[in-house]
Amino acid sequence: MKKVALLITLAFGIFSASAQKPAYEKAMTSIVTEIQQPGITESLQPQTNKMERIAAAEESEWLPKYWVAYGYAMESFRKQDSGEKDQLLELAEKSIAAAERLSPDNDEIEVLKAQIASARVSVDPMNRFQTYGDKFMKALAKAEKLEPSNPRVDYLKAMNAFYTPENFGGGKAIAKPLFEQALDKYSKFEQKSTIHPSWGKMESEYFLSQCQ
Amino acid sequence: MKKLYTLLLLLITLPVLSQTIISGKVSDKKGEALPFANISLEGTYDGGSSDIDGNFNFSTEEKGEHILQISMIGYKTLKENITISDTELTFDLKLTESINSLNAVVVTAGMFEASDEKKMVMLKPMDIVTTAGAGADIVSVMQFLPGANRVGETEGLFVRGGSANETKTVIDGMIVQNPFFSSTPDVPQRGRFNPFMFKGTAFSTGGYSAMYGQALSSVLLLNTQDKQGDNSNINLGLNMAGATASYTHKGWITGTVNYTNLSPLLNLVKTNIDFEKVPQGFGTSLTINENFDNNSSLKVYGTYTDNSSALVLPTYDEQNGTYLFENNNVNTFSNASYRRSFDEGNWVMQAGLSYSNNKDNLLIDDINSDRNDKRTQARMVWSRLFGEEQSSSFNFGAEYHNIKLSNLYGENELNLDDKFTSIFAESEFYITSKLAGRLGLRTEHSSIIGEMNLAPRVSLAYKAGKYAQFSLAAGRFYQNPDKEYLYINQNLGYENADHVILNYQVKKNDRTFRTEVFYKKYNNLVSEETESFDPNPYRFPTGLTDNSGKGYAQGFDVFFRDQKSLKSGDFWLTYSYLDTERQFKNYSSQVLPSFASKHNFSAIYKQFFDAIATNIGVTFTHTSGRPIYTINEDFKNVEYTKAFQNLSLSASHVKQFGNQFVVFYATLDNVLGRNNIFGYRYSTDGKERYAVKPTSNRSFFFGINWTIGQLNGRSKEADLNF
Repeated sequence: MKKVALLITLAFGIFSASAQKPAYEKAMTSIVTEIQQPGITESLQPQTNKMERIAAAEESEWLPKYWVAYGYAMESFRKQDSGEKDQLLELAEKSIAAAERLSPDNDEIEVLKAQIASARVSVDPMNRFQTYGDKFMKALAKAEKLEPSNPRVDYLKAMNAFYTPENFGGGKAIAKPLFEQALDKYSKFEQKSTIHPSWGKMESEYFLSQCQ
Repeated sequence: MKKLYTLLLLLITLPVLSQTIISGKVSDKKGEALPFANISLEGTYDGGSSDIDGNFNFSTEEKGEHILQISMIGYKTLKENITISDTELTFDLKLTESINSLNAVVVTAGMFEASDEKKMVMLKPMDIVTTAGAGADIVSVMQFLPGANRVGETEGLFVRGGSANETKTVIDGMIVQNPFFSSTPDVPQRGRFNPFMFKGTAFSTGGYSAMYGQALSSVLLLNTQDKQGDNSNINLGLNMAGATASYTHKGWITGTVNYTNLSPLLNLVKTNIDFEKVPQGFGTSLTINENFDNNSSLKVYGTYTDNSSALVLPTYDEQNGTYLFENNNVNTFSNASYRRSFDEGNWVMQAGLSYSNNKDNLLIDDINSDRNDKRTQARMVWSRLFGEEQSSSFNFGAEYHNIKLSNLYGENELNLDDKFTSIFAESEFYITSKLAGRLGLRTEHSSIIGEMNLAPRVSLAYKAGKYAQFSLAAGRFYQNPDKEYLYINQNLGYENADHVILNYQVKKNDRTFRTEVFYKKYNNLVSEETESFDPNPYRFPTGLTDNSGKGYAQGFDVFFRDQKSLKSGDFWLTYSYLDTERQFKNYSSQVLPSFASKHNFSAIYKQFFDAIATNIGVTFTHTSGRPIYTINEDFKNVEYTKAFQNLSLSASHVKQFGNQFVVFYATLDNVLGRNNIFGYRYSTDGKERYAVKPTSNRSFFFGINWTIGQLNGRSKEADLNF
């Protein structure tokens, strides 16, 4: 009787342990696909909420925290009010910092840090492009050093050039080859898993078409 | 075995059979639906988001005791202990707003916050340098703000009926003895500090915090920049009045040298002043800015300047008579502050030391007239944060000043030696996120006055809507009499003023509307008994003095700023109405002081053109006439100057190539060429009068600034300073 009980406990333990992974990946995959969809106009808050729940339950995983940060950063672009933008970006910064504690020296985390910094700049470019501009540059440089083949590094550089006026060292002419380089890297890029980041490709294609 | 079978059966069937639905509605305390709240069963993936009507529902396989957590941005997270069985659970959930930067009320009465990294506030260094008609001078921009009275012939901030002496400039908590270049009769001087030195500029129109004192009307609080990067760069500047060069090493230390010479300007622009010796000078400064690992930071700023000029001024007494006013000024100023936080930021300590020594070697009509101001001060403030989100604080501290002033005129030497001590305590607290208060008390002792004073301060703020708030400030403010009076009479007591200010502000989507109503009562002002009235503001007192002066100031001001309607455009409108009278100095009746004007209006417009990286600024100001008091004035039939009006333009163009950055700038002042007159100076018999005019009727200025290397924190257009 005891043996059977032990066996069941064990079996159940294994069952739940092995079942947890697929459940995690399954739950994650659908949200990751939705949240990375370019051109969504509705709020990303429901997806971010789901990610928040997973992040709370899976305390040792960096990816849910990464996606929470991504959700808030993207949501900030949907807001008009600068105070609301900053509030969301503050949450994004908190979450990406938590992800970084779990997975330091991670190129994707550095890329997202750069993305968040550039969102901070866009709230008040005149006064912020020095402080957050510096953070943007540093995070991208670190990401590139960690993983030279990460296409999102080039994508963010290209976007930055695209939105910087010519007199400030930017412009479409400078952005164009960067988008092309990004797309070249996207074509060789293999997503580590369905729950790892893959965003930026369609955006690169769109913005490259705007550079013509 | 049977039991085991049942157990297995149970295990298998459990997921299928026991989905429990949890549903409900999330709303705020007023019952307004809250969409996109996150509802979760703690420790599981199960949960949902509320929809646009605040409704949610989800199913779970969990059973038994659980915690239902409801979280939402801007609200306190709610946790409910629930027991899940097979029946559907429905909840009506009410969330309470948390105190956060978006909803928290802030005390705004009397305070015109000019810059703060966190909040989206009114005015930043960039706003200062891009304002036309202010020449990148901090105080000149403040003169366009509500509550300030423009006085064209002298430097300083005249706030709500107060004289320039009633405003103190404070850097990192410490009073600056000589914030402007040395005063010359009827020639306004620039401030000594570059706007980009400061991350924050807060201009008080009254009712300010108990942390500061010795100013009857206003304080201009300047907070120096924190360390922002670790880049090295070289910066060079050249304009019509001089050249400057600075080097920053790894973001923490900056050395600057500059040379000023007004010759190019005076050769190109016609001025109303007759210079015997063109103003020229040399200056150098050193800035250290470092953050340490133990949550502390150190800021040191030291500067040395040596300036000289000589002017030919009319004597007024004889036709075409003149005399020479020559000044050699040597100024040393240093300020060091150290900040450290303890106990995870719950305690903050700030300590500061400052020394300044200003020497004016004056030669007035061949008579030696040297002035020397020395001030050494130390200050320490402790802050304890408490309450929800650490939003409330209790601050207490003390300051000590050793002030030595002397004035020589021919054979006569006057001296003042004051040891000034102050202790203060203040608490800023939230009762709810919508209601905040600030209570402070300050006591001061000046050895020259030989008395203690006690100054209570109180402020309240109430949030009336999502974007609107009311704020109230009141208090008593003390100040030592002007040094000219203390030199001759050291039995004088403190002057004081009582303020009451009511403020209403709406801030929405980069549009700000703000209005303030105020009443100020002056007590114990220094009054001088003279046989006849002499309107000369530069006269040295001679009569008997006491503290019997008094006065009042009342009025309102309105401010509107729009950064939204025009893309890359910024528009401000300011109107201030002032009704004030005082009997003070040598005024024998309670009347409108000669520096006060009833109506002050300004309109400022700035437009940045992205395509050509050029910023254009236009400023228009209107100041109604000021009273003209004559020799032996009886204050009955008073004449007024005509209104002062000025339209100025500015433009700056930015160009970047590689890691080099160049800014070109140009300004045009008094475009319409209006003949403005600030007042008159009189001959001793009162029969002749001479108009006091601006330095130039119409003037222009241009320059270039070039940066090599990566910038730190400082904005790229930082060096529009001239």
